[in-house]
Amino acid sequence: MNCDEYRAAVCAEPSFTGGAEHLEGCAACRQFRDEMRALDETIGRALAVEVPELKLPAADPSVVAFSPPRRSGRRFPIPAWFAIAATVAIAALLTLHFMSPAADRQSLADEVLAHLDGEPNALLPTDVPVPAGRVSAVVPPNIAVLNGNAGLITYARTCVIDGHLVPHLVIQGKKGAITIILMPEEKVANAMPVEGKTVQGVILPVGDGSIAIIGERGERLDDVQQKILKSVTWKT
Amino acid sequence: MGGCYQDIYRYAVWLSRDRTIAEDVVQEALLRAWKSLDALRDEGAATQWLLTIVRRENARHFERKRPETVDIDNLTPAQSALLAERPDEELHGMRRAIYELDDDYREPLVLQVLMGYSTNEIAEHMGLKQGAVLTRLHRARARLRERMATP
Repeated sequence: MNCDEYRAAVCAEPSFTGGAEHLEGCAACRQFRDEMRALDETIGRALAVEVPELKLPAADPSVVAFSPPRRSGRRFPIPAWFAIAATVAIAALLTLHFMSPAADRQSLADEVLAHLDGEPNALLPTDVPVPAGRVSAVVPPNIAVLNGNAGLITYARTCVIDGHLVPHLVIQGKKGAITIILMPEEKVANAMPVEGKTVQGVILPVGDGSIAIIGERGERLDDVQQKILKSVTWKT
Repeated sequence: MGGCYQDIYRYAVWLSRDRTIAEDVVQEALLRAWKSLDALRDEGAATQWLLTIVRRENARHFERKRPETVDIDNLTPAQSALLAERPDEELHGMRRAIYELDDDYREPLVLQVLMGYSTNEIAEHMGLKQGAVLTRLHRARARLRERMATP
């Protein structure tokens, strides 16, 4: 093994233990190996980004009781961590798939409110706009077209509401953030009020879908509603 | 869920280079995992199985949405958040350097350094030959070394 071969091997795998004979007689390669191991240590620390705490909702008894259909018998005990994750997944699945949309539309308002509670960062006051590319990514042209009159968008994220990926946008109102959630697949018959502890708004029927517009209590949303209704065109 | 959740989340973060997308991807991956739990035949392979689902889900995410060109000086808040933790200048510089690596080089590096995968396992996970994995790892480290040496 020569220097090039040894260094290529160490560069691909700093824990490489071959080439001992070469290493014994080559101080430069020993130094290179030590450098690569130090580099790897830094890479490892850099990759270990902070992980947000996993917040688990209180398990509803009906959720815990639910079991998905199985094609065959279980082959091994489910690990505890997976059972916890699965409980979360089941909660979402039940919400997503087993609630009749026609039977209980108020649940949509509740889910929207619960979603807002889960994204407090979206409601931070700011005047920094989200880059246009980000907005385009969150509101893809095959879902909706958003003209430039919606207002200054300060938050854009794809979220899950009632089992569908939906664009969640925020513009800034006079009293704070105004949330706009575009839900092209959530049909509602009439405008539906949304009342939270500190927020209020409405879910408006728009074509075969709906748009939630929610602001701080006291925020006048009439103008915002008109502006949003004029600026959004469904493409689904 | 402990370390496994951390591994999955960090893998998703470095695949997507965006904390918000990573959260979406992990959420969707867990849902898919639950639905196809019977496909998991070996409890010991649970993490690897989940990483595979995360990888596919990340690819689906970028199929649904046209990938944006990422300019490191013009990042979205979620992308910036990945680089915002600045425990020290060296780590910050390394994160920027890893962030700028091509996906093809970054992913095997994450699997090797963060997950402790062997080059054989990386090859299997990514559908590559082992030689290709070795080449990518070599190039990834060479670029990071060069980048970190540049003031």
